[in-house]
Amino acid sequence: MKDWDRLITVEEMEAATASLLENGKKVGADSWQQRVKNQTPHCGFGEAGTCCRICSMGPCRITPKSPRGICGCDVHGIVGRNFLRFTVGGTAAHSDHGREIMHTLYETKEDGNYTVKDPEKLIRIAKEWDMETEGKDIYELAHEVAVKGLMEYGKPFGTQLFAKRAPEHTQQLWENAGITPRAIDREVSEAMHMTHMGCSSLPEALVHQALRAGLSDGWGGSMMGTEFSDVLFGTPKPIDTTANLGVMEKDMVNIVVHGHDPSLSEMVVHYANDPEMIALAKSLGAKGINVCGVCCTANEVAMRHGIPMAGNFLSQENVVLTGACEAIVVDIQCIFPALGPLSKCFHTKFITTSHIARMPDSEFIEFSTESAAENAKAIVKTAVENFKNRTPELVNIPDIKTNARVGYSVEAIVKVLDGVANSQVDTFGTTKPLLECVTSGVLRGAVAMVGCNNPKIRPDYAHIELMKKFLKNDIIVIVSGCSAQAAAKAGLMDPVLAKEYCGAGLKRVCELAGIPPVLHMGSCVDISRMLILAAELSKDSGIPISQLPVLGCAPEWMSEKAVSIGNYVVATGLDTFLGVDPYVKGSSEMGEWLTGEHGIKKWVEANYTVETDIEKMGDLMIERIEAKRAALGI
Amino acid sequence: MTLFERVFGGNDAVYGLTEAAIDNAIAQYGEGQAVSFPDTAYSLPCYYAVTGVKVNTLGELKAALGVVKTLMTRNNRLNDAFMSGVATALCAEFLEVLKYLNGATPYEQPCYGHISDAFVRNLGVPLVTGDIPGVAVILGSAPSADEAVELVKAYQSQGILVTLIGGVIDQLQEKGYKTGDAVRVVPLGMDVTAVIHVVSIALRAALIFGNVTPGDAANLMKYTMERIPAFVNAFKPLDDVIVACGAGAIALGFPVVTNETENIYRVPKSLIVQEDVSKFNATSLEARDIKIKITKIDIPVSFASAFEGEVIRRGDMQVEVDGSRVDCFELVSTKEPAEIEDHKIIVDGPELDEIPVGSKISLSYIVEVAGKAMQPDFESVMERKFHSYINCVEGVMHTGQRDMIRIRISKACYEAGFRFKHIGEVLYAKIKSEFEAVVDKCQVKIVVDAEKNKDLRAYANEVFAKRDDRLRSMTDESVPVYYTCTLCQAFSPSHVCIVTPERLGLCGAVSWLDAKATNELDPQGPCQIVPKTRCIDENLGRYEDVDEAVNKYSHGALEHVTLYSLFQDPMTSCGCFECICGVEPVSMGVVITCREHAGMTPLGMTFSEMASMTGGGVQTPGFMGHGKQFISSKKFLKAEGGLGRIVWMPKELKDMVRERLDAAAKDLYDVDNFTDMIADETVCTEDPEQLLNYLSEVGHPVLSMEPFDM
Repeated sequence: MKDWDRLITVEEMEAATASLLENGKKVGADSWQQRVKNQTPHCGFGEAGTCCRICSMGPCRITPKSPRGICGCDVHGIVGRNFLRFTVGGTAAHSDHGREIMHTLYETKEDGNYTVKDPEKLIRIAKEWDMETEGKDIYELAHEVAVKGLMEYGKPFGTQLFAKRAPEHTQQLWENAGITPRAIDREVSEAMHMTHMGCSSLPEALVHQALRAGLSDGWGGSMMGTEFSDVLFGTPKPIDTTANLGVMEKDMVNIVVHGHDPSLSEMVVHYANDPEMIALAKSLGAKGINVCGVCCTANEVAMRHGIPMAGNFLSQENVVLTGACEAIVVDIQCIFPALGPLSKCFHTKFITTSHIARMPDSEFIEFSTESAAENAKAIVKTAVENFKNRTPELVNIPDIKTNARVGYSVEAIVKVLDGVANSQVDTFGTTKPLLECVTSGVLRGAVAMVGCNNPKIRPDYAHIELMKKFLKNDIIVIVSGCSAQAAAKAGLMDPVLAKEYCGAGLKRVCELAGIPPVLHMGSCVDISRMLILAAELSKDSGIPISQLPVLGCAPEWMSEKAVSIGNYVVATGLDTFLGVDPYVKGSSEMGEWLTGEHGIKKWVEANYTVETDIEKMGDLMIERIEAKRAALGI
Repeated sequence: MTLFERVFGGNDAVYGLTEAAIDNAIAQYGEGQAVSFPDTAYSLPCYYAVTGVKVNTLGELKAALGVVKTLMTRNNRLNDAFMSGVATALCAEFLEVLKYLNGATPYEQPCYGHISDAFVRNLGVPLVTGDIPGVAVILGSAPSADEAVELVKAYQSQGILVTLIGGVIDQLQEKGYKTGDAVRVVPLGMDVTAVIHVVSIALRAALIFGNVTPGDAANLMKYTMERIPAFVNAFKPLDDVIVACGAGAIALGFPVVTNETENIYRVPKSLIVQEDVSKFNATSLEARDIKIKITKIDIPVSFASAFEGEVIRRGDMQVEVDGSRVDCFELVSTKEPAEIEDHKIIVDGPELDEIPVGSKISLSYIVEVAGKAMQPDFESVMERKFHSYINCVEGVMHTGQRDMIRIRISKACYEAGFRFKHIGEVLYAKIKSEFEAVVDKCQVKIVVDAEKNKDLRAYANEVFAKRDDRLRSMTDESVPVYYTCTLCQAFSPSHVCIVTPERLGLCGAVSWLDAKATNELDPQGPCQIVPKTRCIDENLGRYEDVDEAVNKYSHGALEHVTLYSLFQDPMTSCGCFECICGVEPVSMGVVITCREHAGMTPLGMTFSEMASMTGGGVQTPGFMGHGKQFISSKKFLKAEGGLGRIVWMPKELKDMVRERLDAAAKDLYDVDNFTDMIADETVCTEDPEQLLNYLSEVGHPVLSMEPFDM
């Protein structure tokens, strides 16, 4: 086993950040690091989830001396309500992203701004939804599917269509527990209603709804976001790219795309390749146009076009601090309002594009499907023309860059597995080769690492340290969102180097299959891909998901979306490990419901573990994987 | 029991035996007794390769066993299982060397036991050249002696070196099957520990040929995995000791194929359960990625390019396949690997000897291919080769392509024993050898049935139509990269073709798809990827990437090339172009002539005189070699106003390109029947005035174009 000598360490990344903060000081820039100091210590009631301001009789805060709110609600009810609201905030955001994609699908036409790039997938889903596909023009079908998908948000009766993709056993558990997700908007509304003053205060009911709302995200809104992004922009397949701040180019116009919805970034990427724009850039003294990404938008365009990934959630200010960012173009979610004032310290244009995410100190170029081409062109042009406004003395691009192979959709993973199957004995198109690696012990199991950065955790440290530990122990890691970028930034997706940090089993698998040991499955909505993979593994093996040696993990999570994700991952049967407490530590009953043996585990055969000591969390997870193996006798 | 537990258990058992055997030997001979294998400079080769330490005496052997013990860690990780496998192998080596104690000769005919260094050294060249494409290790007894013979024979016929351990040796003896290193079938010994003698070959190969330092276990295992194409066939029952040995083999990169189904775990590409022993061969080759080079085509007549131009006259003909009258076609079709069986030739319908002499028959052949790197785009590239493949058969003539083929088989050829299935053999052998990089499996279906061929032809035509649509939809803009072609550099060292979808190689033989396929088949070969990200001038087709590529691949002879201009850095020619165009200054148009046209052109020059203006990789503005297909491309002379510049072509050439040329001219200039406006040798040969008169008469679009910017 080699030491961490050929990849980029967290310390190196921190040194790069420190030099960028120096840059910021020269121009009086604020930073999240400073704001964390200003905000510390955090409010104890908020952290414990024991403050209720749902009605105006309060706010009520629970202490030993005042154990109930004015309405009489106890601490468990208050923490539970807060937890449910936190969850559905995420459900709403993720699913609304999915809804936007469905609207884009509805707008596709043969020669339009948006077209159907993966018609086979569209037909496959239409058939799955029992729709007639024969003899239909692909766009006619696209519009019908879009309408049907949009109905999933508000249909009065029935449950989510994609829920049928889950293994029988899982569907049965949901049925028994009454958490098969219904219309997405209904689950969100009902949660808001349940938590209204004078409704639910029973932890069981609140947790129950949190699971069901989460499932409507994972097997509903998010899954539609993923599946139909594939239909629109192509299903990802392995592609090589680069990562970390060094992907920004000193001599080029740098456009950073940030956010989550690929509809915008796809267009920006397209027009950045426009010869007219490139010529304009050259006429202004730049060598060309370099688009790179931050956050999940980066994941989307990296895995479809190989666009480099500059960084993840807590790198968003860094890209501006390089002084070489002509424009940071954002769509929705996880965008710091701080980017407005920060961009004013540099020549950077901060361009907001969605009515969902409006911010002060930004240039608003509203993006719509009809005018997408013009909008994107205008954005690229603005960025290119801004090149001349750079202050050369402020340009500081840290020299850290790694290679990464990304784009492992479930379809791509199955294709990789076909590559190691033997046509004389195996059937193709299944996950069986992966299962064989696991049952034989060559791989001990798999961990799905997801989630954000959070200043409460040393940025990227938990992601990377956990991954290192898993790789050494022959546990394959699938990643998405900011966790994926943490891996890419460190070099753990390097198809040549990363396997040197693996145990013999995982190393051999990487060599035979030609994959990096950490598989990039996409953005945070793409956690739905992980659900499908888990479902396929369960169907192909006949083993319930909860018994497979596969775990979920979000060590640095921060957003409401992450809690919604946690709920659907757990409710799908995967034990989930969190590195940050979801504001529930104020209630022992909520703790028992979420992390105990007699809470949600009774319903879904899985639960949460909250562990802020990362080293300990890794050990616990390996222990859990080995326990699941032992139970299976493998 | 888990797989690792079995490995650990087997390892412990062998370790116990070894310890006891060494202790007994020491008790009998004392610690100072020498231990060695005969005819090797590598001591105990496996132990030496793994640890870098030579063992000379029983005392040292005892100490070495202590080192082996340190490998036997018991965590539930593959590394522990691998190391326990290696430890098992080393114990086996110790047990085997004890057999040679005190000058004993433990092995007798037919078994070899320890293999000499000389034998290993002799293996080097044939392993590198692929003359020995693999090394099979067969262990245990096959279900029957016949199956043992079948399996060994299959490997032998592929040139694979076969080593045998255990019952299979008796089975071959029983059948009187010849063994020995001369026939590449080497029985090692009856005990399972004799397997170490083949491991010893592999590890010495790493030391001898791979220059691996003894003791560098990591590089040793990397070398054997990447370079030694060995694999194991282990017959059931597999006990824990064999499973432990298997772990050692897998650690070295050698997959194990077994028919054992009890208490066994499957591991992709490593531990494969194949219940059908008759498929051990195919399963093993696929598992170890061994591709057998086909050097001989199994047909009763000769196969050589000398026969390519052979004509079969009507009177000499046994039968004729005539696509102009009945339903015939040839097709390559991509399949999933599981759908087809390698080297299966199916003749559906009567064989040649059941058909009356002189018949005109309906026949089709579909070559079904599968491969991990196969792409449907390669189908047409392969198909285009059929003409040459089938023509190379002595006594067989082939013309045409797709559903317009004609094949004649001569009486002499028939009498020599040639049958339809041999067409399959030829196609199989050539496709497998020439497209080795993309075709893993290939199967040929020959249908000699008019009814069936009617439907099949309709299906084939759908496929052809789809392909044509794809080809037509491919433009220079729609593809992400172009390719170089430097196939001609053998005689024209500074010429580089840039092949794009709309501008195929000037020889007419290399389309963009051909170049793509060539690149995939041979990534270091003549067709290299040219990115097209840095466009300088779209109209001229000038790219920084293209300039870099021509500069690099012409070795500095050329600096700039445009894709679409005749005057500004036109693409060079090697000399094997199909056509050449040259400026006709009176009409401000261009004259095109082709190789087949021997006559004069209005430039006062013949094809060969014009050809001498360019060629050899020289840029001559105003003259340019090109393929026929390029004439009707919208990119032809794009920088100078396009194909409307064409004022003269030989009639023969006009007829060849008419359809597409007319269509392109219609799109570009809204002119009907443009080809008729182009003069030919029936209008004028040498007189430019005559030419100009004709052009005015028909209202040729060139007359309204700007003069050339020469």
